[in-house]
Amino acid sequence: MEKQEEINSNPGADWENFRDDDIMLQHSAIRDEQAHKILFLGDKEPLSALAAEYQSGSSILLEKIKLLDEKYCAIRRTRGDGNCFFRSFMFSYLEHILETQDKAEIDRVKVNVEECRKTLQSLGYADFTFEDFFALFLEQLESVVQGADASISHDELVERSRDQSISDYVVMFFRFVTSGEIRKRSEFFEPFILGLTNATVDQFCKSSVEPMGEESDHVHITALSDALGVPVRVVYLDNSSCDTGGVSVNHHDFVPCSLSNDGSSGLEINPYITLLYRPGHYDILYPK
Amino acid sequence: MAATDKYNLKNPAVKRILMEVKEMQTNPSDDFMSVPLEENIFEWQFAIRGPQDTEFEGGIYHGRIQLPAEYPFKPPSFMLLTPNGRFETQTKICLSISNHHPEHWQPSWSVRTALVALIAFMPTAPNGALGSLDYKKEERRDLAIRSREASPKFGTPERQKVIDEIHEYVLSKAPPVPESLKQTSEEHQSEKEAEEAEGSENAGRSADSVEPENEGGERITEEPQAAVENADAVEQREAIPRQVRAGVSNQQLQHRPAQRSTDDRLLTWAAVGLTVAIVFLLLKKLMKSSGYDAIFLSES
Repeated sequence: MEKQEEINSNPGADWENFRDDDIMLQHSAIRDEQAHKILFLGDKEPLSALAAEYQSGSSILLEKIKLLDEKYCAIRRTRGDGNCFFRSFMFSYLEHILETQDKAEIDRVKVNVEECRKTLQSLGYADFTFEDFFALFLEQLESVVQGADASISHDELVERSRDQSISDYVVMFFRFVTSGEIRKRSEFFEPFILGLTNATVDQFCKSSVEPMGEESDHVHITALSDALGVPVRVVYLDNSSCDTGGVSVNHHDFVPCSLSNDGSSGLEINPYITLLYRPGHYDILYPK
Repeated sequence: MAATDKYNLKNPAVKRILMEVKEMQTNPSDDFMSVPLEENIFEWQFAIRGPQDTEFEGGIYHGRIQLPAEYPFKPPSFMLLTPNGRFETQTKICLSISNHHPEHWQPSWSVRTALVALIAFMPTAPNGALGSLDYKKEERRDLAIRSREASPKFGTPERQKVIDEIHEYVLSKAPPVPESLKQTSEEHQSEKEAEEAEGSENAGRSADSVEPENEGGERITEEPQAAVENADAVEQREAIPRQVRAGVSNQQLQHRPAQRSTDDRLLTWAAVGLTVAIVFLLLKKLMKSSGYDAIFLSES
């Protein structure tokens, strides 16, 4: 790594004397500075830490956090770098597997991952453009299964999720899966995308799904949840209140079509992943 | 490959780049050639062929690519070394696929995608983009001819060797400079007469080179983003119909003037029709104002 940097900074490389570069560098510097105030993935914190954030703020929010406290015990923050949904998804899912050691679930998700690979191939993606990302995700999935040489502990999982070279690759894996699912079922997603951005499905995937740092919306969540067959619950925390004056916390369950189509739609799902949504950002919530 | 021993294969960027190298080797293109330097796989040399049916046709344009340590999360930088009249040399090229619009870059793109897009970009209007040039077609054509003669001199002897090898290779793949390209300088003087004499094959060729937007403009999109999106399509179209097009071009050329004169005739008729309508309306208004509108009214 060091060697390579040395070579990159070789003379003869006057790449730097360019007019726009300063502005761009400044932009990324600002972003970096903001980003580094919080890790990719924070530590588990009690909900009181969340309440503390709003101590001098909205009473509605404090009211709602009190309600959350009845059902949820902790929060784990993620960095607000536009990848927070995918990163929360990654950690929550792997943590779920690590804790449950649910072999059936691992086998099931692997089948879905293979399906996603085929989808991308059939959409004309060159193998080498997504292969690394798939391999890295499957590696993480294997490593949370205990009892093998490569098995990792919960602490190591946290560490890996904070390691950019792993974390970003898994985020990118999810972005590929999401993009593939949206394109594959473009007639289904088209109206949602039109309502959101007035872009075509292709434009949307190219500008809002595949590039790193692009924020996620219900379209992304629906697509990822469907593609991997993993249910997700999103709890909304915002300033809205009911007409009657009472306060309640809304949530929305993203139930993969594979689960909701087989007649069990009336049943209460037990999501593996629960996220707290505050406008513009997702964190992980831990149910009691 | 020596690079495999030297680099940490655990480094995801290295892994990815080596995969791209392999992919390039297994699926070589006639339109471009690109290889990393042996001493640093983050530094590549490339040459592209000027796109067909443009003033760049027959040209061989060299350049270098620098891949960032964060590749493929961050975009590669491109720089041309051969004077071409479209991009400044030794200056980072402003493409949405390259460094200057990092927000558009996505890891599903590759050096190949970027090169295909770069070829598609050549005939587009620069619109004042940084690092762009807007030379006249004749100047670009002259540069295209000159670009074949020798490869540019750049960098270390090792790099120069790579550049020269690429030049040899692309030259062997590139068909000789099209006849029309050599003729154009002479034709240029008599361009006016030639255009008037639509019908002969020569004139068709000249009209074609004067107004490439007939064909080239449609094939190569102006919007940078769109150019990338179509990159694959362009590549396929570029690759397959080359032979076909060469065979068809004569026919096409004879058709085009005919088509144009049909268009002209239609336009003329439309103009005549409009004039008649305007004259009629004016007349009516005139009569109205001078009190003769009774003529119209009495009939209804």
